[in-house]
Amino acid sequence: MIPPFDYIIPETLEEACNILWEAGKGVGVIAGGTDLVIGLRNGDHSPRLLIDITRIPELRKIEEQDGRILIGAAVTHSEIVSSPLLKKYGKILSDAASVIGSPQIRNLGTIGGNIVNASPAADSLPPLMVLNAVGKIVSREGAREAPLDQLFKGPYETNLKPHEILVHIGFEKLSSVMRSSFIRLARREAMAIARMSMAVVLRIERSSNLIKDIRISPGAVMPRPQRMPEVEDFLKGKSPDEAILKTASQKVSGVMVLTSGVRSSTPYKAPVVEALFLRAMRSCLEDRG
Amino acid sequence: MRRQVGANIPKVDGLEKVLGEVRYGADLPAKEPLCLKVVRSPKSHAKIVRIEMDEALRIPGVERVFTAKDIPGKNLVGTITKDQPILCSDRVRYIGDPVALVAAKTSEAAEAAANKVVVVYEDLPALNHPEEALKLNGPLIHDKGNLLFEFHVIKGDVQKGLRESHLIIEKTYQTTWVDHAYLEPDAGISFLDEKERVTVVCPTQNVHYDQKEVASVLGLSLDQVRIIQCATGGGFGGRLDITIQCLLALAVFHLKKPVKIVYSREEVFQVTSKRHPLTIRYKSGVKEDGTLIAVEVEILGDTGAYASYGPTVCIRSAVHATGPYLIPNVKVRSRMVYTNNSWSGAMRGFGVPQMAFAHESQMDLLAQALKIDPLEFRLKNCLRNGSETATGQTLMTSVGIGETLRKVKECRDKANHSREDPKRPFIKRGVGVGSMWYGIGNTGIANPSTAQMEIDPNGEVRLYIGVADIGQGSDTVLLQIASEGLGIPLKEIRVIRADTALTTDAGATSASRQTYISGNAILDAINYLKQEAIKEAGPLLNMDEKDLFYEEGKVKARTCLTTSLPVREVARRSGKVIKGEGSFDPETTRLDSKTGQGAPYATYAFATHLAEVEVDTETGKVRVNRVVASHDVGRAIHPKNVIGQITGGVAMGMGFALMEEYVPGGTTSFVNYLIPTSKDVPEVIPILVEENEPSGPFGAKGVGEPALIPCAPAILNAITDAIGERIYHLPANLERVLETVRKKKAGNSNH
Repeated sequence: MIPPFDYIIPETLEEACNILWEAGKGVGVIAGGTDLVIGLRNGDHSPRLLIDITRIPELRKIEEQDGRILIGAAVTHSEIVSSPLLKKYGKILSDAASVIGSPQIRNLGTIGGNIVNASPAADSLPPLMVLNAVGKIVSREGAREAPLDQLFKGPYETNLKPHEILVHIGFEKLSSVMRSSFIRLARREAMAIARMSMAVVLRIERSSNLIKDIRISPGAVMPRPQRMPEVEDFLKGKSPDEAILKTASQKVSGVMVLTSGVRSSTPYKAPVVEALFLRAMRSCLEDRG
Repeated sequence: MRRQVGANIPKVDGLEKVLGEVRYGADLPAKEPLCLKVVRSPKSHAKIVRIEMDEALRIPGVERVFTAKDIPGKNLVGTITKDQPILCSDRVRYIGDPVALVAAKTSEAAEAAANKVVVVYEDLPALNHPEEALKLNGPLIHDKGNLLFEFHVIKGDVQKGLRESHLIIEKTYQTTWVDHAYLEPDAGISFLDEKERVTVVCPTQNVHYDQKEVASVLGLSLDQVRIIQCATGGGFGGRLDITIQCLLALAVFHLKKPVKIVYSREEVFQVTSKRHPLTIRYKSGVKEDGTLIAVEVEILGDTGAYASYGPTVCIRSAVHATGPYLIPNVKVRSRMVYTNNSWSGAMRGFGVPQMAFAHESQMDLLAQALKIDPLEFRLKNCLRNGSETATGQTLMTSVGIGETLRKVKECRDKANHSREDPKRPFIKRGVGVGSMWYGIGNTGIANPSTAQMEIDPNGEVRLYIGVADIGQGSDTVLLQIASEGLGIPLKEIRVIRADTALTTDAGATSASRQTYISGNAILDAINYLKQEAIKEAGPLLNMDEKDLFYEEGKVKARTCLTTSLPVREVARRSGKVIKGEGSFDPETTRLDSKTGQGAPYATYAFATHLAEVEVDTETGKVRVNRVVASHDVGRAIHPKNVIGQITGGVAMGMGFALMEEYVPGGTTSFVNYLIPTSKDVPEVIPILVEENEPSGPFGAKGVGEPALIPCAPAILNAITDAIGERIYHLPANLERVLETVRKKKAGNSNH
């Protein structure tokens, strides 16, 4: 049973910020509600007021601005999947969005919601991490930019203040020399939370065949979305041959265990995270043609 | 008239279902019903010290809070052993046990009040493993002891058989709890009808059983209780036990006002029955030429907090332990034990799916060790017409197992299975078979059905039948049988079903029994109706009864081709209702209590599945690409419906094999209980083997449970074929498959 609450649908960002500022405690922000409503039903939270941000124009757009792609926080996963702009400049994100939940969830759930819910298994977060995404956050106090990797504190925890709203998430267009791959493993083919996932962005210098840029972010294996700088640094400047990749994959599982500790799931996850990393890398390398 | 039997007519309930017009439990209209909410135990084993409800009663809209003290009759229900309270009085035995029942004007008030009922518990030691529960001097879950039931099947001399074996293989198999995952959470209404009867309308698989339990709980006579089945989105055995019936009836009994209850899905997961986890130690002996000579099996089952169908599963798993094979020396010991886990009950197959996982794994292990093709090995040992089963029953006819094996073999031999995928070196492909047999109807006990057919002077033709159609299609199939038997078009027959005030006992929609048993009861009723029609037609045609016969809906004269009278005309002209009452009880014998010998079923269904899988050896992910499902169902009354059952059975079998696992106290909802989606289910190629069953209606047997049983064994054998190592513990989830792959690799590198 969901306890009663008030519901406001502001039409502008300013209005939303004002309501949030004045309302104080016990206020929630709702977009698609695919996570929030479950929490309401379970009694995890019982706000007295919910602010629906899905009618605010700035939050509903996907646009290109100064070589960057900006995605409004209330853009749905389905809209991401069908965006030609994202297919061209951020395919790794549309790939991930296309396997979230089911059509119903993708039609309702939003990218902003996926970010602020901060689930360790969220499908859009590893791709955003390797895209070096930066969030724009506003409140009545003003606006701030927050690189995604600084936004997460732990499982289901961000450092967003109660009166702040995530407006959009932006990233530099992925140039045509960059390769990317998102691999996802779940217990069944649809409507399943990811058991594990892996996002990789890779640039190989053609002349030298050396790794110039590498970004790695696994999903559902660590408490919060993270990159793996130790492995990235190891790979940079090296030739992506099988022996190097194999060593790198062991470093990936090593970082995972170091970050998450040894758990009952580690005997399964350690070899599988290595396999997913290798598959993502091979997929990028094949893609290079 | 067009033949009805064997025709793929539209299902009679199909249109209203696809139009969304059908009313399931939660949709049922009631006049300002009070809403009910159950207060449940958060403890797996505890004494109830006291229940405080003052605060709950102060919540506006709350009418009443019921406890065990309010139950006027017997506060224990159960299909075989009555040990399960409607509301616990002194003690709770699992997480979810009902303790109190709130009735309020709104569901919000009922829920708020349920949260305010304070139950003070004193913890008791909880037992979570059958082995632990069997230890001497341990805590008792029920006063009579923790061993609910024990059953043996003994034939020949198993020690001698094992001594004479060229090869013996012994392994232990483990299965887990599975939820039925029927379509809609349990919901229903109750009220006093025009005759002041306590009337319950709800989803169920057996209205007449529900009626007996409700009457017993309320201390009423049967005619003071009426149960009506509403549209039911599947049951799979989960709706054979009492769910909401007695709670609804208890509230109406006291309040005399309409009431309604709607379970949440979370509640269904927590409080309804589950498939029994079985631990199966299986030892098989075989001669050098591949002839099976002995099996020795030890089964230990977890019935959880209450008996439910525990004894049935205990017996049925023992009786079916050999699989569909001829084995001269058999010793099976099957035990069912109480624990403080979720209670286990009936689920599609009553223990046989678990046993098939074990005996089919053994068959492949033996075939591999003897270097015989697994299908050839099964063909060599399978039952035939004239074979004697492990319980000493000689099967004279309709033993179609050999034919299902041959059909599957044809398919396998034609297919070109590549074991590798050049683009994905981590993929290994495999092919596996699984076979089963399944006795139709209850095991070694009477399980009759009754039916009435009548034609009134207005020409209306009615079939009265107590059978609950839970989506499996009995309304359609039984009408086909009635139409064919009467020679009257199906559309002109009205079915009145599953209402205790209007129909008589047909037994449960379970054990794949309704087509066979109720189909025969209907044909019996039709025979009486025909005699009645002939008797009434005599004076109308000025002829002697003995010169008349019934054919194609008409009473005809033997001597004059032109003299005939449609049966409805007989009713109209005579002004009488032409009626027939029928019954059928399959011919079985009681099983000997020491040796399990006897003829427990009148007929058996047989099946073989072939599964083609691919295993991702780096992640443990299994994909089932294709299942060939060959079934001996006797005569298929409605082939499309049979194929529907088979396809659904494959989906459910795949879930059992690969992903479904209920954890008592852990699993909460479909978020952490995964069943296959349409994207997971493989291509299914059904093959119908129609071995005529002389005692069946138009030769029919049954298919409901057989559809599921061979699927998981076939998938597990296919996984073994792919990775070269066997999994003995269901489900074969990501972790178990990967662990097994790695074990194989480690083993290889040791050599």
